[in-house]
Amino acid sequence: MKPKVAFFDFTSCEGCQLNKLNLENDLLDILKHVDIVEFREAMDDRADLYDVAFIEGSISTPACVERIHDIRRRAKILVAIGSCAVNGGVNAMKNLHPIDEVRETVYGDDKYLFATLPAMAISSVVKVDYVVRGCPMTQQDFLRLLISLVLGKQPPKYRTPVCVECKLRESECLYNRGMVCLGPITRGGCDAICPSFGQFCTGCRGLMDNPNLEGMSEIMTNHGISLEEAQKRMLLYNSNEVKL
Amino acid sequence: MECYSLLRTDVPDLIDHLGAYGEIVAPHSKGDVSYSFEVVQDSNKVVLDYDRTLLPLKKMFLPPQEKLMDFSLKSLSYTPIKLHIKPRVFFAIHSYEMQSILRLDHSMLSGQAESNYLRRRKKSRFIGISFKPDEFHFSESVGIPIEEMEGFDLYLNEVDGDYQLYVLTKNGHSLIEGFEKIKTAEPEIAEDRKFNKKIRFHYNRLPQVFQYAYHSEIWAEVASRCVGCGSCTLTCPTCFCFDVKDEVTVTAESGMRQRSWDSCMLSTFAEIAGGENFREKTINRTRHRLYRKFKYITDEEGLPWCVGCGRCTAFCPAEISLPDILNDLINEDEKAQHHHQVMA
Repeated sequence: MKPKVAFFDFTSCEGCQLNKLNLENDLLDILKHVDIVEFREAMDDRADLYDVAFIEGSISTPACVERIHDIRRRAKILVAIGSCAVNGGVNAMKNLHPIDEVRETVYGDDKYLFATLPAMAISSVVKVDYVVRGCPMTQQDFLRLLISLVLGKQPPKYRTPVCVECKLRESECLYNRGMVCLGPITRGGCDAICPSFGQFCTGCRGLMDNPNLEGMSEIMTNHGISLEEAQKRMLLYNSNEVKL
Repeated sequence: MECYSLLRTDVPDLIDHLGAYGEIVAPHSKGDVSYSFEVVQDSNKVVLDYDRTLLPLKKMFLPPQEKLMDFSLKSLSYTPIKLHIKPRVFFAIHSYEMQSILRLDHSMLSGQAESNYLRRRKKSRFIGISFKPDEFHFSESVGIPIEEMEGFDLYLNEVDGDYQLYVLTKNGHSLIEGFEKIKTAEPEIAEDRKFNKKIRFHYNRLPQVFQYAYHSEIWAEVASRCVGCGSCTLTCPTCFCFDVKDEVTVTAESGMRQRSWDSCMLSTFAEIAGGENFREKTINRTRHRLYRKFKYITDEEGLPWCVGCGRCTAFCPAEISLPDILNDLINEDEKAQHHHQVMA
């Protein structure tokens, strides 16, 4: 029997889910391996049990907490996809400000009508088995994970920085072009697609294990930006991880 | 040694002439300020004055990523990739780059030869060119002057904007046979090429320095600035470590085995089954990198395994300088020696 797969979204732009529907050339192959039983963005059906639940978005309200617990209870394997789900992503910038201030800015006088929590990674609330990183997650990365699960293999873990893939492609280093790039401390697996096309890395795949943030700040300030700006760049996707 | 004069404007014609032998690989402009070795399509696009390419010439013999085999999960069989390498001429190569290939030959071909490397290496011809050292080159300090000609078949020595062409081997001689835009000349030595960056000790004293440097505090200072991106080793012309991975296609019926360059500066490099890591900290890895270049292999082979190209320094985002580390270690060593003499 084919594994039952479901997709769920929390606080996010739903871009990662949309990215899967864009897998046009591979969708039919994927459907040979799995049954999609729940996918709000593409179908109406619902199911009670899932072999694999893919979760997009971060946890940011009490209702999210309740719902993710319910999904976790019904899922054999739970995978966080996209940076919002993996570490809170850009949503977590909210956590840098007092929560009352945030509510007031967004909802004004109606702020007491909307319960809110700090934006959290899925793994802050329930057990996450695997992750697909990136903003948005890349299709290649998603396929690699899916095929690994189908074959019963351990999905690839990306534990080397973006610089590695940039070098393997022989892309010109953006530091040599007078830009400031987060490639050295950012987890790779993206084939260094941004730096290779002249866009500096913004860190969307999350930080490396044990990143040298002081060293990174020094590199950036040595390349002409203020410490404040350097810290802002590191926080963009990693507010829940960077402790300054 | 035969010596000819060659006008700069006639170099593209020489390149076209060499095309009779095979594919030409030469430096080209890349991006805003960089260079890379590429197969020549248009001889006018070849760059003769360049500091260094992003990736070393090594990439033409040991590619950054290389498919080794296709396999089928259905029939449980595999098909190795068959290489068909044309004869190749490597044109406008700096002396340190040539020396790095000779060192790689040792690493890849001694004992059990690495077959793909060997296939790519056969029928190679090398044409050297002189260069003006920038603030990063220090190859003279590791025993490789600008005009080191070992390994080359031909060598282009720039004199007053034009070139002298030295014929160094029989192969070199046959490469230029029939090329008429050269005239017999007397070899001259250009005086205006000096290295700006130097190691204070002769390279044969470095293993001695490294013998006592293992517990130096300099490593911690370097590690505090290093962010562990791996650029130094990934651009190094004498590093040869690679990783092998299998990837299955979306049909889950077939796949391929691929190898790609690895780097001992990455935290994953020395990790083994069970999660143990015998060079877990940056300080262990920074130290290991330099010991690989100046002690471990050097003790065996009598040569530093660094050719002074300056890539690790030029491409380090943290601007960590390999020759500066060496000079710091040398200063520390000298201080210790002096201290012991005073004590005695």
